[in-house]
Amino acid sequence: MALLEVTDLHTRFRTDDGIVKAVSGVSFTLDRGKTLGVVGESGSGKSVTFLTVMGLHDMRHTEITGSVRFDGQEILGLSTSQFRKIRGRRIGMIFQDPMTSLNPVKTIGWQLEEAVLLHNDVTRAEARKRAIQILQEVEIPRADTRVDDYPHQFSGGMRQRVMIAMALINEPEVLIADEPTTALDVTTQAQILRLMTKLQEEKEMAIIMITHDLGVVAELADDVQVMYGGRIVEQSEVHDLFEKPEMPYTWGLLGSLPRLETTSDRLEQIPGQPPSLLHPPKGCAFNPRCPYVFDRCREELPELRAGAIGENHRFRCHLSDEDRARIWEEKKAAFDAAEGSAA
Amino acid sequence: MSELLVVEDLQKYFPVTRGLIFQKAVGQVKAVDGVNFTVEQGETLGVVGESGCGKSTMARCIARLLEPTGGKITFEGRDITHLNRAEMRPVRRDMMMVFQDPYASLNARKRVGSIVGEPLEVHGIGSEQDRKRRVQELLEIVGLNPEHYNRFPHEFSGGQRQRIGIARALVINPKLVICDEPVSALDVSVQAQILNLLKDLQKDFDLTYIFIAHDLNVVRHVSDRVMVMYLGKPVETGSKQELYAAPKHPYSGALLSAVPIADPTLGRARRQVVLTGDVPSPLNPPAACRFHPRCPRFVDGKCNVDEPVLTPAPGATDHEFACHFPLERWPMDEDDFSRRESEPQSQPLASTTD
Repeated sequence: MALLEVTDLHTRFRTDDGIVKAVSGVSFTLDRGKTLGVVGESGSGKSVTFLTVMGLHDMRHTEITGSVRFDGQEILGLSTSQFRKIRGRRIGMIFQDPMTSLNPVKTIGWQLEEAVLLHNDVTRAEARKRAIQILQEVEIPRADTRVDDYPHQFSGGMRQRVMIAMALINEPEVLIADEPTTALDVTTQAQILRLMTKLQEEKEMAIIMITHDLGVVAELADDVQVMYGGRIVEQSEVHDLFEKPEMPYTWGLLGSLPRLETTSDRLEQIPGQPPSLLHPPKGCAFNPRCPYVFDRCREELPELRAGAIGENHRFRCHLSDEDRARIWEEKKAAFDAAEGSAA
Repeated sequence: MSELLVVEDLQKYFPVTRGLIFQKAVGQVKAVDGVNFTVEQGETLGVVGESGCGKSTMARCIARLLEPTGGKITFEGRDITHLNRAEMRPVRRDMMMVFQDPYASLNARKRVGSIVGEPLEVHGIGSEQDRKRRVQELLEIVGLNPEHYNRFPHEFSGGQRQRIGIARALVINPKLVICDEPVSALDVSVQAQILNLLKDLQKDFDLTYIFIAHDLNVVRHVSDRVMVMYLGKPVETGSKQELYAAPKHPYSGALLSAVPIADPTLGRARRQVVLTGDVPSPLNPPAACRFHPRCPRFVDGKCNVDEPVLTPAPGATDHEFACHFPLERWPMDEDDFSRRESEPQSQPLASTTD
């Protein structure tokens, strides 16, 4: 049985300008010990999906439908007090900006102890011992003295380690990481990613990695879902996705990535801007930016369907199998040519 | 090609003071400490390094937004290091900057027309109609609708705002544009649009760029030459082809290997060097080679005693590095990145300061 099972999730925000359909019909499953990569641009609904899963929306302005089953139990619509038993204990979360997520007037130790004390019946001294231990696990040097420091005394990479420590201190079964390395340098990013993989192996937890960086997904994820305009537009096993992406938006994302191994003069660009979720385009959300658009795309939303590879690789696109195969072959040849000239 | 900008031994030290009234100097942060480079007309110099390595401070010194502590900046054959405000004014027409954060670098209370037109106004170029026409022309060139002239910055997305920032930098036909992390805050698809735009503009208007970024992929894509900085000093410079094909400095090697590769098969098979720790404080930089406390190839008694200087790489035309024990091959081998216990038998490639 899947550890986390999300079915037909919809999240809508009521605003003064109208209803924003931030998430529309998202379904996926996550197994124990696996990593799910979630890719998309700003405004694609990737963060909102998981804030919904965590029950972190202000319900006065939010309409949520669908189902989120965690370890067999429906968690959507749980009361706040019931939710608190799961959130922070069985599901941990790391946010993008470590400076704004930590309390600047409390010591690191105090904040870590708080997380322990909330969920366990222990004394503060025991919680402190646990805090020092987890700081050691995330490789903070001199953890026994650094535990009394304030967040401003830590560098960006160390603050992100503290955030990871805080999310892991109660040994959650699922860790949701929302752009955990976006604000960091490449070298620090590599440190953090390596640390997350190591801790995942030790603790057998499942990770949901939300990012806009396809490189990060390629390094870590087992499964990937690409989101656009509040919907999943492609989901697949990671090697399949990079080997044979099936959908024009994914092609665009792969093409627009400046790569170390290529030297082509121009990047392929996706023209235009991401869609407004207040007034989404009719039909396929990607149709105003898609170079292969035809009449059907403007009228009818494509279903999330499986292609030639199998049930596990699903995508939304009206193009026929032959057309998609032909276009991708051409693109792949262009990528390979660019790589060849670099070598 | 002629030399547009020559920077010699540029230094920028910030005093660290204690006390409110007397502000006694108790130390110095050597943010930029001895940077030399030349930028030719029409080329792009990429500058890479981690946060805190002094790359933005260097850019600000070149644009004279900060007063350099020492060294010499020559722009179009003229020494501009110590020009005063009035003397600097005509130089500023030829040297513009594009900033990182498109949300913070545009005045939220001004309309796009007056933001983009401001350089023209400051330099007293043209009549009001001329300026308006020029601004609308520029908006069109950077891919915005000229009718957006009267809108406010908040009505635009991040990518569009960065286009406004670029339009503002180009409106008075500068020769040199310093781009300080222009795409770091943008999504990949928008990032590609802006990078392509910058390349097109360079071709059309014969621009010279200094392009600062922490993303090696981006730098490789736009640059002709690359400079890798660490703690205020360049550790490796060279043409893009030579530096990326055979990096010599272990820091460049580590930076390159840290970049995630968007190919799960290739990416997971490669050997990766993960540097430990953070960039040390520039208040107390490590002695001799500043990279030695984090360097996997550190040799005690050499790297922490002798400071390596930039020396040309053997067999290369445009490639210099500052290291006693440079990488012999790329991609590297297992033992290239194990911590050395003793000095290797073979003669090191780089000469030393003594």
